[in-house]
Amino acid sequence: MKHIFAIGVGGTGAKCLEALVHLHACGLLSDPDGQPARLGVFLVEPDQQSALLARAQTAISRYETMQRAIGRGADYFARGELCNYGTWSPLATSSGAISLDQVFPKAVLRTQAPGVAALFDCLFPPEEQTADLDVGFRGRPPIGSAVMSRISLEKEAQVGQWQRMLVDIQTAAENSESTLIHLFGSVFGGTGASGVPTLGQLIKDWLTRQGRNSVKVQASLLLPYFDFEGAANEDTGVHAESRSFQLNTNAALQYLSSRGISCFDHVFLIGSDIKARYGFSIGGMSQSNAAHLVELLAALGLRHPTQNSNAYAHVLSRAQSQVVTWQDLPDDELVGNGLARGARFAVAWRHNFSREIDEAQKLSMRSFLSGAPWVRRFFSPHNSGGNHAGRPGIRDNTQLSIQSSINQYTDTLLQWLNQISSNVGSGFKQELFTPSLLAPADQLANNLHKIVQGKARPRRSENSDTVEAIKVAMDWLPEDQITHPGMAGLADCLWLLVA
Amino acid sequence: MRPSQFIALGSCVAIGMAWVFLMQNWILLNIFPGLLVGPGLNLKDYLQTGSSPAFTVFWFGCITALLLWFSTTLTARPSSSRQVRQVQPLWWLASIGLVVFGLLCLSWFTIFRWQVTGTSPIEGNAVNFYPVPAGGWFLLIGFVLIDLIVLFWLPTVLATPRTYRFVVPGAVTLLGSR
Repeated sequence: MKHIFAIGVGGTGAKCLEALVHLHACGLLSDPDGQPARLGVFLVEPDQQSALLARAQTAISRYETMQRAIGRGADYFARGELCNYGTWSPLATSSGAISLDQVFPKAVLRTQAPGVAALFDCLFPPEEQTADLDVGFRGRPPIGSAVMSRISLEKEAQVGQWQRMLVDIQTAAENSESTLIHLFGSVFGGTGASGVPTLGQLIKDWLTRQGRNSVKVQASLLLPYFDFEGAANEDTGVHAESRSFQLNTNAALQYLSSRGISCFDHVFLIGSDIKARYGFSIGGMSQSNAAHLVELLAALGLRHPTQNSNAYAHVLSRAQSQVVTWQDLPDDELVGNGLARGARFAVAWRHNFSREIDEAQKLSMRSFLSGAPWVRRFFSPHNSGGNHAGRPGIRDNTQLSIQSSINQYTDTLLQWLNQISSNVGSGFKQELFTPSLLAPADQLANNLHKIVQGKARPRRSENSDTVEAIKVAMDWLPEDQITHPGMAGLADCLWLLVA
Repeated sequence: MRPSQFIALGSCVAIGMAWVFLMQNWILLNIFPGLLVGPGLNLKDYLQTGSSPAFTVFWFGCITALLLWFSTTLTARPSSSRQVRQVQPLWWLASIGLVVFGLLCLSWFTIFRWQVTGTSPIEGNAVNFYPVPAGGWFLLIGFVLIDLIVLFWLPTVLATPRTYRFVVPGAVTLLGSR
């Protein structure tokens, strides 16, 4: 089994992990035999109130809950195992310090090392020294670097989330030929730009000390792909400015070209010349930037085969300047099919099957069955609710909790797909999905044909590409093709038929 | 439609034809002749010019309803089970309509046709209708209901396509309770 340990650093890193979880749900993180990989996710973020962090955590926990609820009840749907190592703040090691002058106590420095104190004053202006860092490193890589450089992985490996993850990395490296650590973060902001190279180097050094050189360390580094709309006011204090993005990027790339090899075995560089526009935010809960296609592309770096490649840096371009299509995605055939299946499944489940099951709660089973022959393949056709030929009742609480977990995850997936297909920047368009069909709707969805655009759209006539056709197929499937009953079996069957 | 449904539909139509055009007359002639024979009523004449034409027209009515039912259920693409269930009243309406149509057919060929033309179905008799006794009417109405079951209910319950296949009354009990 392939083991992947993904570390998202900062807000953009968290968004990339969100994309990665959805790729995992779509079955796109597998080993060459098609066996789903085991994905471990770890978020590094000083801004614990970050809306981006919360979104990533939501996607992770919802997938985790769904996967746990389904258990062994499905053969194809949600088979990828996910291990959540949680969130860690680099400030957590600084005994509650929330500003740079608390991380490096100036009073102590002045008495014990006046030269260092003078250097500290020289490197960091007073407003940077006193800025509250509980909203992140405020788009300033030097602040982040100063905090991150104090991390001792040996010490962290003794307790908490780091310990759990590093033990798992060791175990995976012992038992599996294919273990990969992949870091995600921007190089133009504060947390990612300082954290990704620092953590990359720390992890690589730790692996060397552990004699685990077979474990590869990679990173997807995001170059500028958005701008801020609006600006900070006088009270905002130190904050990220989009005019600094290019400068930060240049510095990061220079560092990477000289020291990068000591941090990562391979890097994937991805940005966009056409920028998405996000409202200005210093961080925290107000930073609710919508998901972006670039984050998906960054996550796809993880799929890139690097075993037989000596190339260090991988970049990606598109064929046409004003439009992105499936052909622009790496390994577009497989990735397109996987994402198309995920989108079609989410729409069919959330906007049809799940509502049908809700409807079934209000009717006698006989009455519901008269309009839904497919339902008896997964649930008992009787009202009694107990098992019938191994099939549970449709009102069974366990089944309803599985339904709820699938609902919650598909809501997250649909929101993410909707955002990556609508948040493209002005004058630019995508030909991947139809955003309006991914949005919440009152009407029950039936036609699935237009959800996916371009070459990833399944090759069948529009008339037969409906949820109703799937229900008919379910109704007539041979007995041996419905291997699991209940809600998980229904989702599994839908996953197979919707492709 | 599934091959098995095509076979079921074909079989039902064949059985229906055999029932209406062969067995029904044989039963009337050989099992219940006493119920139809009355003063001045020749059973063979009545079967030839009264009940047989009535049941033939009724058969065409049932086949037409069957075609309409199958064309509706084959072409519709309901997005929900509720939309499917909404078709059930249509089936009942068709069934009730067919019963009424069957009774009208019998009435026409037994009574009204002769009254409209002003002729008598019985040679040398003044009555301008077939004087079918009350027991005979009950028997004929029973055959209308049996014909409805054989010609409409049975094919629709066994061969209604797609998600509509359990919408016909009795389908859930017959096919969906396993």
